[in-house]
Amino acid sequence: MNKIKLFAALAAVFVICSSFAAQEELSGRQIMDKAFEVTKLAGSEAVSTMTIIDSKGRERVREIAMVTKLFDNGDTEKRLLRFLSPADVKGTGLLVFDYEKKDDDMWLFMPALRKTRRIVSTERAKSFMGSEFSYADMAPPILDEFTYTILSEKEVQGTLCWEIEMVPIDEDVADENGFSKRIAYIGKKDFVIRGAVYYDLDGERHKELSVLEIKEVDTVSHRYRPMHMVMVNTQNDRRSILKVNQIQFNPDVKDDYFTTRYLERY
Amino acid sequence: MKALADLIIKFRWGIIPFFILCAVFFASRIPKAEIETEFKTMLPADLASRLNTEKIDDLFGGTEMLMLIIQTDDVLNPETLRRTESISKQMKRIKGVDKVLSLFDLKDIKGEEGAMIVNPAVKSIPRTETQKEKLRREIMNNDLVYGSVVSEDFTLTAVIALLKADVEDSFIVGEVTQLIKENPGEEEVIIGGLPNVRYMAASSIQKDFRKLIPLALLIMLIFLFICFKQLRGVLLPFGVVVMSILVSIGCVPLIGWKIHIITIIVPILLIAVANDYGIHLIAKYQELNAEGNSLTNTELAKGIFRSLSKPVLLTGLTTIAGMLCLLGHIIIPARQLGILASFGIVFALAASLIFIPAVVSILPKGKSIILANDKAGQRPLLDRVLHFFGDFVSRYPRAIVITAFSSAVVLSVGIFFIHVDSDPNHYFPKDSPIVTAADLISEKMGGAQSVSIVVNGDIKDPRVMNKIDRLERELGEFPEVGNTSSIARVVRKMSRALHDEGEDGYDAIPQARNAVAQYFMLYSMSGDPEDFEKMVDFPYENALITARINTTSTPRLNSVKEQVVAMTKNDEEIKLVGGFAFIFSDIARLIVNGQLLSLGLAVVVVGILLMVLFRSIVAGIVSSLPLGLSVIALFSLMGVFRIELNVATAMLSSIMIGVGVDYTIHFLWRYRAERHKGLARQEAAKKTLTTTGRGIVFNAFSVIIGFLVLFTSGFLPIRFFGFLIVVSIFSCLVGALVFIPAVCLVFRPDFLEPNKMISLKG
Repeated sequence: MNKIKLFAALAAVFVICSSFAAQEELSGRQIMDKAFEVTKLAGSEAVSTMTIIDSKGRERVREIAMVTKLFDNGDTEKRLLRFLSPADVKGTGLLVFDYEKKDDDMWLFMPALRKTRRIVSTERAKSFMGSEFSYADMAPPILDEFTYTILSEKEVQGTLCWEIEMVPIDEDVADENGFSKRIAYIGKKDFVIRGAVYYDLDGERHKELSVLEIKEVDTVSHRYRPMHMVMVNTQNDRRSILKVNQIQFNPDVKDDYFTTRYLERY
Repeated sequence: MKALADLIIKFRWGIIPFFILCAVFFASRIPKAEIETEFKTMLPADLASRLNTEKIDDLFGGTEMLMLIIQTDDVLNPETLRRTESISKQMKRIKGVDKVLSLFDLKDIKGEEGAMIVNPAVKSIPRTETQKEKLRREIMNNDLVYGSVVSEDFTLTAVIALLKADVEDSFIVGEVTQLIKENPGEEEVIIGGLPNVRYMAASSIQKDFRKLIPLALLIMLIFLFICFKQLRGVLLPFGVVVMSILVSIGCVPLIGWKIHIITIIVPILLIAVANDYGIHLIAKYQELNAEGNSLTNTELAKGIFRSLSKPVLLTGLTTIAGMLCLLGHIIIPARQLGILASFGIVFALAASLIFIPAVVSILPKGKSIILANDKAGQRPLLDRVLHFFGDFVSRYPRAIVITAFSSAVVLSVGIFFIHVDSDPNHYFPKDSPIVTAADLISEKMGGAQSVSIVVNGDIKDPRVMNKIDRLERELGEFPEVGNTSSIARVVRKMSRALHDEGEDGYDAIPQARNAVAQYFMLYSMSGDPEDFEKMVDFPYENALITARINTTSTPRLNSVKEQVVAMTKNDEEIKLVGGFAFIFSDIARLIVNGQLLSLGLAVVVVGILLMVLFRSIVAGIVSSLPLGLSVIALFSLMGVFRIELNVATAMLSSIMIGVGVDYTIHFLWRYRAERHKGLARQEAAKKTLTTTGRGIVFNAFSVIIGFLVLFTSGFLPIRFFGFLIVVSIFSCLVGALVFIPAVCLVFRPDFLEPNKMISLKG
């Protein structure tokens, strides 16, 4: 799979270097490969706010500091999240090893209990921290598990995008990811996702993702991060907003941060 | 009266089509009537238990349950589990289902190798015997499912749908039935829960009545023919009954109401009451048209109107007054019943007094049914029986009165055994699938109704969380509580996953608020955000403690309610107490109060009305006597035969008021007229019994025989209903034919005496 990805990435780079006319000929899969590629950031430090809003408009707001770094030639991204607020979860830390080829490893440290617990999550469809974002939304999908069709081109958030339909190859994949179909809008110039619509396992419209702001964090390698994402669940009227308040490109984040030892240092 | 009679004859060609068109118009509205099976809407909107339950539904979504029970020797068999999984998956997709609770939806929280793992209680279907036994042990240790969605002996598993507040019973039951069909298997699948009971009750009532009412009407037709031996004598009273039923039911959609289960009593009530007027008119018609008379058909028509318009109006008025006393009920459909029945009776009254004479006047004069007097040997049986009654009453009036009063005293003991229960499961015979399912659910799955307590405060505060924990445990100790759930139970379960046995904090609510918050944070990493939605609200300000109740018996629900109220009073953090168990307890209480109020009111109002009409206080008292005796007889029979006073049977006494007083009025009216003509008391009583008595007997027996049909119903309340109607009408009949004449002879009330009488002529 890795070779395919590498090949795809090379193909994408080649394509980008070519003319616009050549770009038109990219397959759906190639576009998605590229879209995945442009989010890979060697290292970063950020402070974000996650707001979860229920159908009655009530909010839960969480402020999170996060550092990330790529390991294993970019195959593994390690992330350390530390909750800054609300006060009752301040200091709670989450360490994530996001592997390309296997289930993630995660640990949560709870300062009030002075305990760290591994989080076992094999279901990518599960909600991330009680929000409308699922684990599948927070990390790139396993690209081989879907088929891709370019439906058309559309302007989304002021950017001309490919409209790409992404369908799980079988029911198990659909179950695991929690959707039967996903329509993604990928910017034609930068390969950055601008929005997506999710259809549930019954084929009904379920969630809508809007990426309202994007930042090119690594201007050398052209790597991007969404700065402001909104996920609306059209079935239960809940919404979640993830907003990055500050972000800094930093490939030299200390490796030490990404250990359970450091996680518990609070 | 004479002028009115002339007017009827003059406009008869307009009157006849007018009544028919009226009935046709109302009948055309009936298909628009909607049927309401929701029990909650029977209660006034401002009633605490309804209001609280609605508020709880608002905070936590629907709390009402529809259960699918899968029964087999071991529910952990792979095929059974696969079927359960498929059913629960599809159940979630049914519109109107808010949440599904099953082995595949409820969670298990485990501590394993430094991880807290949140998984469905059955994560994967066991393939080997070892895996199956491992799963069994896991489930037995999982207090989030053991005893609530799987029975302790593993012979039952439940897929429970928590329903949204506005879902209709018929829709959801239909969808679930379809779901079972689409997932066939060896296991027995039973539907349980109140929505199904209501649906089955409503549909069996409708089905039964659709079958039984026409049959009752047919039998009544035949009986009327045997009585009157004349087609017109059959069709006219019968036509009036049918038209009045159409009019009153047609009113339901016109007013914007819905047909409740109780509304079905309206046609029955009208069958019992509305033919009263017509039958008396026909009896009078045949009396006037006795052998050897020289009256023309218009003279006959005027004659029946003139001699009966007053007593018929009187009986109608008292019946309407009695019916309107149902407005004293707090149960909404009971009030509606009062109004609908009144509409029907007003129409029946008008039709009997105007339509029947109009029709009689245009029909060619019928043959004489009553033969010339004094041919005692050839008299029909009924006449002989009535003569016997006349003799009997005039011979032993004192004995009759004393016997009546003393038997009333004896019978009234039975009233103390009366048993109030609005348990909907009791609508069905004990061996019906509904009752079997309910018993199974109560016995092994903790019950299908619930009581809910909402605690308001900072739910993450350990003090509040401990209170929730304490309340839940206390609730769990009630014998009527099958199982309980709350957020505190989940927190304790997490504490067991996070700590080693024996370690501080194991199986306990954490001591610090932050620790509670971090438990939830940890859970949110691996569970679903919806997992807690029936236990705590989004801002962690309100928590719901739910106790499933393993009984539907009203007395036991009352006891639960009392205990819960005692447990929660004077606690400001307890925001709401509600649930279906409370609504049921309220329904039962309101039925008794409402019934006593409306019955008492009816006796008083009818008494006053009679006092005014006969211009005598004694008249009111005398005519209330047989009514009082019948009410005692009815309630004591219910006590003795353990027939429950429930929503349906409570309405019986209203029918009794409607029917009972009429027979008495007819008797008194004629007796007074005969006394006025100069007959001695005993002669007057005999004459009344053999003339008006004939109408009364025809009337009563036509109803009794009609309602005997109800005994064949498979539906218990209908059977009881039939039985009780027969008993009450029979007791009213005996009251009017035996007791009242005896009272007249013994007490010689002034209002019936000719020298004390104020002019009677109309």
